[in-house]
Amino acid sequence: MDKSMEKIDIVKLLIYLLVFIVVTLFMILFVIVPNVKEYRASKSVYKKAFVHKMRVENILADRNVELSNLNSENKRAITSFMHKFSSDNFIKYTGNFFNKVSLTQIDKKAHKKEFIEYKLKVSTSLKSPTNFYKFLEGLNRYENIIQADFPINMESNGSTISSTFMIKVYDINSTK
Amino acid sequence: MFTKVWLIFITFIFILLNVFNIFVIYKNSDYKSSTIELNTKRAMLEKNIDSIDEKIGFILRQKAVAEEIYANNIILKDSIKNLFDLVPDQITLKRVIMEKNSLVIYGVTPTKDTYDFLLAAPLKSIFHTSNTIFYLTDEGWYNFVSTNKIIDPEGE
Repeated sequence: MDKSMEKIDIVKLLIYLLVFIVVTLFMILFVIVPNVKEYRASKSVYKKAFVHKMRVENILADRNVELSNLNSENKRAITSFMHKFSSDNFIKYTGNFFNKVSLTQIDKKAHKKEFIEYKLKVSTSLKSPTNFYKFLEGLNRYENIIQADFPINMESNGSTISSTFMIKVYDINSTK
Repeated sequence: MFTKVWLIFITFIFILLNVFNIFVIYKNSDYKSSTIELNTKRAMLEKNIDSIDEKIGFILRQKAVAEEIYANNIILKDSIKNLFDLVPDQITLKRVIMEKNSLVIYGVTPTKDTYDFLLAAPLKSIFHTSNTIFYLTDEGWYNFVSTNKIIDPEGE
């Protein structure tokens, strides 16, 4: 035991200890500590980004629900706007209320940027004004979005009434 | 032997610390790349939200336009119905011209009083100005032309 102790040079031991301490301290203070600091910073940035993304995901889910609700609530209006106006179909429909129907396109213009408004003149012959109310009532259930408009002219010709009025048909402006 | 043990020990510690350091660097870069990925995903989701918002806005605008048109049709139906309900049996209408703010009625009435009491009075209550011209017919009845106007552009 004593011999082995004698072998150990105390100066050498101190030098090695010093070298060890210097190497360890250098590694810890100048290499590991800055890296750990950076690691912590990027971890907190990551956490913030994660929370932000989660919030955005929730908003997206809410908006999707809102969109599908609106879509189902307004299905009729949406499909009516999508439906291309066909004068043949319209004349067929008006045949339920009127005897003779003729359509003349008068005007086409943009309506509130996203829509196109076609103005058509309808000339008809009907038996009683009741048919006209029924036509106006049914117009709100028609396959297109149509507004009956002034001027409305009705003239009695004995047993029938000849009538001219305007309709405005609304389509989506696909070139917007 | 003593020197060797020390050198091995120091080298071991050095390597250990380096391994730890490399681990930290790796985790750090991992977090950084994950953050970038999250941000790109988030930006994509935000774009989706924008496009959904646009769709929602468009649906709401379609709804507003459709509701306005439906309401206008109902109003028009009611006003025409009201007009015909207004006309008493004694008076026969020959022609009706409805504009947005005016109404012109051509018809036949047995007497001026019948017209004045039964049709002119309600018309005057609806319209701001109401003028009537009478023509005596061969049968002793009166043809009349009634011109009625609303001055307020918001009215019928």
